Amino acid sequence: MSDTQWETYEVFHQSRRGKPHEHVGSVHAPDPAMALQMARDQFARRLECVSLWVVKSKDVTQTDYQDPNFFSRMFDKSYRDPKAFDAPAKEKE
Amino acid sequence: MPSKVTSKSNDQLLAEFEGRIAMGDKVEPGDWMPEEYRKNLVRMIGQHAHSEIVGQLPEGKWIPFAPGFRRKLTLVAKVQDEAGHGQLLYRAAETLGKSREEMMDELLSGKAKYSNVFNYPTPTWADVGVIGWLVDTAAVINQSMLAQGSYGPYARAMKRICYEESFHIKQGYDAIVALTHGTPEQKAMAQDAVNRWWYPTLMMSGPPDKISEHTERAMRWRIKTKTNDEVRQEFVDHIVPQIRALGLDVPDPDCQLDKSTGRYKFTAPDWEELRRVVNGDGPMNKERLAVRRKAHEDGLWVREALAVKAAKTA
Amino acid sequence: MNELISYLTALADDELVLGHRDSEWTGYAPILEEDIAFSNIAQDELGHSLALYTLAEGLGAPSPDTMAFERSWKQFTCCRFVQYPKGDFAYTVMRQFLFDSAEHVRMKSLASSSYEPLRDCSAKIFAEEAYHLMHTRALVERLGDATEESHKRMKAAATAAFPQALGMFEESEGADTLVKQKIIIPNNLLKEEWLSAVVPILEGASLTVDSQSPSDDGGRRNNHTEHLRQLVADLQQVYQMAPGGSW
Repeated sequence: MSDTQWETYEVFHQSRRGKPHEHVGSVHAPDPAMALQMARDQFARRLECVSLWVVKSKDVTQTDYQDPNFFSRMFDKSYRDPKAFDAPAKEKE
Repeated sequence: MPSKVTSKSNDQLLAEFEGRIAMGDKVEPGDWMPEEYRKNLVRMIGQHAHSEIVGQLPEGKWIPFAPGFRRKLTLVAKVQDEAGHGQLLYRAAETLGKSREEMMDELLSGKAKYSNVFNYPTPTWADVGVIGWLVDTAAVINQSMLAQGSYGPYARAMKRICYEESFHIKQGYDAIVALTHGTPEQKAMAQDAVNRWWYPTLMMSGPPDKISEHTERAMRWRIKTKTNDEVRQEFVDHIVPQIRALGLDVPDPDCQLDKSTGRYKFTAPDWEELRRVVNGDGPMNKERLAVRRKAHEDGLWVREALAVKAAKTA
Repeated sequence: MNELISYLTALADDELVLGHRDSEWTGYAPILEEDIAFSNIAQDELGHSLALYTLAEGLGAPSPDTMAFERSWKQFTCCRFVQYPKGDFAYTVMRQFLFDSAEHVRMKSLASSSYEPLRDCSAKIFAEEAYHLMHTRALVERLGDATEESHKRMKAAATAAFPQALGMFEESEGADTLVKQKIIIPNNLLKEEWLSAVVPILEGASLTVDSQSPSDDGGRRNNHTEHLRQLVADLQQVYQMAPGGSW
């Protein structure tokens, strides 16, 4: 059967200036301009919103949940943490 | 199927999967999952989505007749929300690998199921208020539970839906309160609607635990976090006092508070009726699907035209 | 002041009837996303109707619910255009586009009305209509020439709707008084501006229309289509069980 439901766009919503855009879901739309309108009616009809981004779902490149190594951190890397450099109170005097 | 990235066995993967769920971790699209889990969820989420869009019809019918500006505006907003919820839910189901087109096709061909409660007619204005109040209360109790479920996209959709459903309940309740303060004819209309919707709403939580398949595994995989009977009891305990406070009653003389447990005893619905209606023999099954089918077919030229235009202009 | 009440009532009647027609698509739109979008338009139009009846109420007219749910259909002064059945999606989109474009020029002109409450109200309506227009214009531009079928339907819609749309610019009774008081500007000026906006957009979508079509007038003088009778009967059916009662 042919799919006539249009492709999907991921929607990012910014509630006010200064806040990050947040992923809120996706819409089916025929093109980017209509995707923005569909996103506005679906995701901004109640919530305060100053900006919407839409990106074709197929343009999102993502990591693989099943890859155990992409985010691996096996050895102690606390040297990267600012706290690792706090001198003990005694030595400061 | 074994993981494509690691060389773990199915049993190992299943054990890890169940371990993570037991800890309250979520499952995301792309995570390894048992085929039964995927299949169950796609069916369940799809059914839920279908219920929302079929559910537009019993109340949408009353939009042209809504009495007064406030009721008319509120009802359009409510039925719009139902389309919105359907949209969110189809999207959640799509993450499990089924297209929306395919799901629509299954609904319209009669292959997929939707919530049985929408197979009943709405012959009066009061039915709109009672659906908003009773049916949506039952839905929210069920949905708040599902919002704690293990599948990330479904849990996220449910949180959003629950928030909007609380408006649905209030507007339904408000419409019935207005009727109970009105003429004797209006009051009678409200009671008549409650009488007709009481048992269908009780059936919404699903068949009793003792005959329900899948319950144990659904609970272990946190597809559900409460049983059907638990959800049903919660609904009755919540709604009966509200109904009686308005001077209305439920059509069940045995529905009484058990002081020792603090819970209401009530007559179980006719499960045979549920089975019949779910399998297509309800008063409105054929009509509901015929309407949705017509909307889908009538809209084909629009969907095709906009896709063609986008391809031309891209 | 009667002429202003008549004027506001006519606009409110237009919005109510069109909003009612728009809301007939909720649950039946071509695709879910459009169901949501069109329901938004329906709610906005009904909201505009309520705002305009409320302005009239401030001048001594009955309440909005009384105006909408208790008047006889023969007393309405909406244009005939908004009364016609919703038709197919092409007709609905075409009608909405032509209406939104008219609202756009009218509400813009009311920004300099000498009657302050109308300036304020029209600014709000203008803002909401701007979004409708963006949506319906986008649909017209796409559907106008996308496929053979969409073109055929949109062409039929344009042919039917255009002369009907001209009826939006029929003046209400006493309009010349309002013009003298600088509360409104004459409809024929609005019509010229509207034509110069919509005709190029339609032609850009391969839809030609005849600007000299005879106008489907009569609505402002209570000369209505039979469709309005049924529409108002439906609209008022439940309310009439207890008019002015507890709803």
